[in-house]
Amino acid sequence: MRLPRALALAALLALPAQARAQEAVPAEGSTPVTKEEVHALLEGFTEQISTMQTDLDKLKKFKFSGYVQARSEVGEASSDSVRVTGSSATSPGTFTSPNVSRFFIRRARLKLTYDSSPLSRAVVYFDGGSDRTIRLLEGYVTLLDPWTPLHDHALTMGQFNVPFGWEIERSSSVRELPERSRAENVLFSGERDRGLKLDSQWTPQLSTSFALLNGGGVNSADFAATDPTRGKDFVGRVRWSQGPWDAAVSYYAGRQTTPLTGPDVETDKTRIGFDAQAYYTAPRLGGGSLRAEVYSGHDVNADSLKAIVTGASGARLLVPGRDPAHLATDFRGGYVMWVQNAGDRAQLVARYDVWDPNADADHDQYRRLGVGVNAFYDGFTRLTVSYDAITTEAPAGAGSYRDPKDNLWTFQLQHKF
Amino acid sequence: MNRTARLPSTLAALLALALATAAAAKPVSVKGSDTMVILGQRWAEAYMNTTPGQVVMVTGGGSGTGIAALINGTTDICQASRAMRPDEKLKLRDRYQTMGVETPVARDGVTIYVHGSNPVPSLTIAQVRDIYMGRVTNWKQVGGRDATILLYGRENSSGTYGFFKEMVLANRDFADRLQALPGTSAVVNAVSKDPNGIGYGGAAYAKGVKEVPLKKDDGGAPVLPSLASVSDGSYPLSRYLFFYTRQKPAGDVKKFVDWVLTPEGQKIVGAVGYYPLK
Repeated sequence: MRLPRALALAALLALPAQARAQEAVPAEGSTPVTKEEVHALLEGFTEQISTMQTDLDKLKKFKFSGYVQARSEVGEASSDSVRVTGSSATSPGTFTSPNVSRFFIRRARLKLTYDSSPLSRAVVYFDGGSDRTIRLLEGYVTLLDPWTPLHDHALTMGQFNVPFGWEIERSSSVRELPERSRAENVLFSGERDRGLKLDSQWTPQLSTSFALLNGGGVNSADFAATDPTRGKDFVGRVRWSQGPWDAAVSYYAGRQTTPLTGPDVETDKTRIGFDAQAYYTAPRLGGGSLRAEVYSGHDVNADSLKAIVTGASGARLLVPGRDPAHLATDFRGGYVMWVQNAGDRAQLVARYDVWDPNADADHDQYRRLGVGVNAFYDGFTRLTVSYDAITTEAPAGAGSYRDPKDNLWTFQLQHKF
Repeated sequence: MNRTARLPSTLAALLALALATAAAAKPVSVKGSDTMVILGQRWAEAYMNTTPGQVVMVTGGGSGTGIAALINGTTDICQASRAMRPDEKLKLRDRYQTMGVETPVARDGVTIYVHGSNPVPSLTIAQVRDIYMGRVTNWKQVGGRDATILLYGRENSSGTYGFFKEMVLANRDFADRLQALPGTSAVVNAVSKDPNGIGYGGAAYAKGVKEVPLKKDDGGAPVLPSLASVSDGSYPLSRYLFFYTRQKPAGDVKKFVDWVLTPEGQKIVGAVGYYPLK
């Protein structure tokens, strides 16, 4: 827009000077420029600028944002990274001995937002990381209420983050450690689902989110086609924000289908979560925060699936005599996390997270101590170095258990735009 | 000279260079509000005169741009003519674990500008709201001549835009036909050439246009922005102008912020056309 304006200004400045020159010494064979001609020229410029302004205003409704995370991982021989093959709670990817270090693109994301009017907007969000396949991560339309000045209520329909807890909706581009907690990864694999959501800001402190979802989540095998349970899952969250601290309670209720040869088995799925964050400023160092989140509930877990369902010859059958109600178990999980900035360019992080898929069974827990450093190269690029000390209780025969060597170094460069 | 002999002198030179670099004050960057850019530049010039070796760089772009720069870490101080919004505080918290530190540095009265020939004697806040929301479209509806009102305003990255929208429009939307201009100077320039135009912006920019006295309501007295009316709150559109930092100012940033709040710094506020804090 600046160039046409500059041209118009130049024309404005140049033409009167030219006219004056011609008044003083009329050039041979030339016609003096009249005021009417200047006026017409100006009007022409104004019209062009108005047209371009209109076009520019339309373009300004499009907003592109995104980020790239280029990553290197070095793991111990038995490291079990949930992200190697596109995660699944039941079949996590595995590092094998010949492949304990690698470079890959963890996330390559592009988000397009179109603010079509003050009362509605649409978002399309793609990811092309990990397996180099471009896939739709989010796609939704949001309607904003017309009856409150700040549009305190928003109704969203489409594919979006499940409004449960704290970690899920926090973008990977701002998270201080490369991956979310194990409990979140297992319970909300992919973090997103399809449905209808109502977000409300009741007071500056109190906000709520309620949603009806298909329930499978974007990483479930039957996600794209249908909702096999037909009934919709419900999720609700109430959050209170009081200056330097936030706290929220979340609740999820639904059904889960386990596909079998013959009639499928449906089990209840309930999840309760509590999260809290507290912020402080340390002298000389800068801002810091303490965060915690716990999950508990009842859900199908991978171990009971392996114990109760047999998959010989392509068939998925219940092991004779096993009760299908035992597919679902009571689970517990959560994390505590500490983040401390060290000036504007560095950040220290530590997190301890646990995941117990069956609260009634021993020796099936996952525990991880993750520590990391973020170094900010500029306002858009950062380097993350983290180390995960992982304890995975695995059967070692004859009633004994072992902790596989699966600790992991991660080096990641991220650019956000 | 052999290499062994040259090494100590090279190291000494490098050490001297490093010490000189370390001793040199780091430039303080200030970015944000277009309303405050001239004020910021005057502060910077005066401060650099009194503090040899210290560089203060001031740029505009709008309060929203300045706040984004604060979040991105590309400025030390954000100048803002509006308070930070909750979503901006959350972004700052995401990156720095802080909610930002707000320091009021001056006061201003957002002024309604019209062309010098416009006969309208005063406007109520409700009339200004109706004009900018498109409910009133002709000057004769508010005591002026029979002519269509042409609306000029600021782009949405501007803090003055945000303040005006909140305080005058009660956060409702502007009329579609408003022409958003990049900077208060552009608004003043447009209104000064348009007999039917109306604009708004900081008091310091009201040159070559008529300032319209404002009334809080129909029964209120018309008031123009002045040190007295802005200080005692009788001018309905008075506001603070802010410095924002990511955390409590320290080092060279603190020295500059502290200086801005001294009588010397506040004297410049009055000289530029705004109103000092005390």
